[in-house]
Amino acid sequence: MSAALEISGLAKAFGEKIAVDHVDLTVPQGSFYGLVGQNGAGKTTTLAMAVGLLRPDSGGARIFGADVWAEPERAKTLVGVLPDGLAMPERLTGREVLTYLGLLRGMARDVVVERAGELLAVLELDTAENTLVIEYSTGMRKKIGLATALLHGPRLLVLDEPFEAVDPVSATTIKSILRGFVDGGGSVVLSSHVMALVEQLCDHVAVIDQGRVAAAGSLDEVRGAGSLEDAFVELVGASGAGAKGLSWLSR
Amino acid sequence: MAVALTMAAMKMAVLRNSMNSQKAGLVVAGAVLGLILAGGTIAVAFVGDPNVGSVTGWHTGDLLAAAYAVWMLGWIFGPVFIGGGDETLRPEYFTLVGLRPRRLAFGLLTASFIGVAPAVSLVALAALVVFGVRLGSAASVLIALPAMLLSLVVFVLLSRVATAVMGLALRSRVGAIAAGLSNGVILAALGQGWVFFVAFQQVGGIPLTASAILRYLPSGWGLIAVEAAAEGAWPRAVAALAAMCLLIVLLLGAWAALLTRRTSAARPSVRGRRPMTATSAQGAVVAKEMRTWTRDLVRNHQLTFALAYAVFFTSCMLFMGMNGLLPYTGAVFILMAGAMSANLYGTDGTVLWLTLMTPGASEVRGRQWAWLLTVGPVGLALTVAGAAITGGPWPLPLALTAALLGGAAGIVPLISVYALVPGIDPHRRGGNPLRSSEDDGSLTGLAYAVIGLGGLTGVPAGLVASSYGWPGVAVGIVTGALCVWGFGALAESRLQSHGPELLQTMRTGKRAQSASARWKKFDDLPKRDQIIATVGWSLGAIPLFPQGIVAGVMKANGTEEKSWFLALHVPDPWGWPVVVFMVLLGIAMYGGALWVSYRPRPREEALPAAAA
Repeated sequence: MSAALEISGLAKAFGEKIAVDHVDLTVPQGSFYGLVGQNGAGKTTTLAMAVGLLRPDSGGARIFGADVWAEPERAKTLVGVLPDGLAMPERLTGREVLTYLGLLRGMARDVVVERAGELLAVLELDTAENTLVIEYSTGMRKKIGLATALLHGPRLLVLDEPFEAVDPVSATTIKSILRGFVDGGGSVVLSSHVMALVEQLCDHVAVIDQGRVAAAGSLDEVRGAGSLEDAFVELVGASGAGAKGLSWLSR
Repeated sequence: MAVALTMAAMKMAVLRNSMNSQKAGLVVAGAVLGLILAGGTIAVAFVGDPNVGSVTGWHTGDLLAAAYAVWMLGWIFGPVFIGGGDETLRPEYFTLVGLRPRRLAFGLLTASFIGVAPAVSLVALAALVVFGVRLGSAASVLIALPAMLLSLVVFVLLSRVATAVMGLALRSRVGAIAAGLSNGVILAALGQGWVFFVAFQQVGGIPLTASAILRYLPSGWGLIAVEAAAEGAWPRAVAALAAMCLLIVLLLGAWAALLTRRTSAARPSVRGRRPMTATSAQGAVVAKEMRTWTRDLVRNHQLTFALAYAVFFTSCMLFMGMNGLLPYTGAVFILMAGAMSANLYGTDGTVLWLTLMTPGASEVRGRQWAWLLTVGPVGLALTVAGAAITGGPWPLPLALTAALLGGAAGIVPLISVYALVPGIDPHRRGGNPLRSSEDDGSLTGLAYAVIGLGGLTGVPAGLVASSYGWPGVAVGIVTGALCVWGFGALAESRLQSHGPELLQTMRTGKRAQSASARWKKFDDLPKRDQIIATVGWSLGAIPLFPQGIVAGVMKANGTEEKSWFLALHVPDPWGWPVVVFMVLLGIAMYGGALWVSYRPRPREEALPAAAA
């Protein structure tokens, strides 16, 4: 059985700065995979290369065995992506975005209409029926992004920081959608720097540090006896700089 | 004052940090062009009769008043054309600092004087001093100095206030359309300004009413002061300077008030109402684009601008009793609309990721159809109306309309993927809706490139139509269709092959650059620099040698044969300025080409940090 996502030797340098340094990762089918790392560790760059949004300097990625760069059409119908902070068709309403994308993917109109309605209702975006995406709040943008990722019924979801700026109620909704997706045989890869969230959701985890994989495997393998946060801090070797106080703030 | 100095220092730092060889090239090119214009203004001060009062023929004061009116209008309306004007320091940066609006405005104003445009304008305003000297009055020279400085402050402030007003106008559809109309008319008037001069030439100088109006504009007040000083009319001179001071205070107050509105108001609000009825992938792209054209107020503004520009551009010839240009209104509109949408993909920003995630769906074709559906009917209607009013000719305008429609619909997507100017994502834009990119110089270049290349696509049909009549229309339809099909296919394949690179460019706002030796390889240059280099190297000789030096020699020798030398065709006071202008233009073109091709010292570019 091929892996849901297989990343092999991915590398990317921006000029002198090496953003991703030969990353290998295997996301088994049916797993809920968390990618953790500090800001600037290379999570976003890795995920962008894994789904074909950024051309790697070397290495490659396969989605259910389909090479992302050699067979993009096959690979990209199997994956749904939620990038962090990218634009949407801003002057469309949520329903129009989904209709547009569904048709662009070659789906039948009645299927698109039905799924769009369902997604908007589940994600509670149907109350803002006439609102253009450009006027959405950050949390709403995440939700419409997730809806676009789910629309075509992918088998793998690649989500970059899906919970950032999302309110607790919406986060619960998203979590239950993702859990249901995995229970139904789907696979999810998400990046986050919130350890508690990853611990709560994921069964597999990889720690990325300075563009390399510092540890990867099942959640229990990586965190050992302690919490994921302790394991993470130990792995990335943070110096605990927070201990130095800010002198002018204490009286 | 401390705030003002800090802001000025901040702007210097931002400019220094964002400078690279490309940007420096543009700054130099802009400075050279500006200095040529400023030099021309100073040259005007040497032309005509300086004496105050009624004179026969050209009056220096009138000419200067006209020149400064053009400078002022340039300051006011330039930002509309070049992406919102100088926004190095945005008012939003300071919202949390808690400055009073007046202090904020004063600080931003001070920072506004750091840059090429104010320096160049100051040079142009130095013509006041020259004029004072020619008037032979020490008092005039003395008063010219404060007049220069005050005029510059007025220019900069008018520019800032105008941009702020535009920002507010673009929050509603009515405002966007009104702004588009007025901007189009005024820019067309600037572009066709020669018409007025030819008209004035016929009556032997600027008529008294026109000369009075030019002086009553704030751009003429400095001149009034200088002339009054020469006459010894001190109260008048002082009153003119005081009026400028008063205007500055009022404008500063207005700007401060506008700044508060800008930082506090919400985004423009347009609601989506029509259900999307498309059933195919291409239909969906068309539907998305058409909605963007109608709902994005900046695009509303651009289309209205193109319309007003075209109509006024061709109809202002009516002042000279000529209506021959009217049938070409549609053609001008199409080219201008093309220029406005030149950065098609850059304006939409990183939404390109969705296109990359749906390979196989043809995105370019849908955009082309939407563009044709938006611009085509209006363009055709303008052509038909124009030709109907003048009673023909019909074949040439129709041939051009067909050829240019297709040409622009092909060139626009092609140029926007080949010479993409990274924009600011729509949801991240600040309080200035005109500002779609940090790189307004490139945006302007792209607009001109579309006008130039798009214009070329009309040549075959134009030639056939002007020689053989109606067959030209068929040629126009054929070349138009070929352009849509061929250039669209090229754009599509570029999007397929370089999609991730284009997305990365938009994400980081920087193009991938290759470091090499002192001379950059032509292929390594960004497309825009390639265009600058090509145009500079290949065409720079024309203004420099035949139109400049040769024409100068012939003029000096008093040759009767005028041939194609512009300097020999223009009426007398203008011959020499034209020669000088042509020589400078030639040098500037070579200089620009040299600048983009030559790297003084290989320097590490600031590298985009990996987005992670």
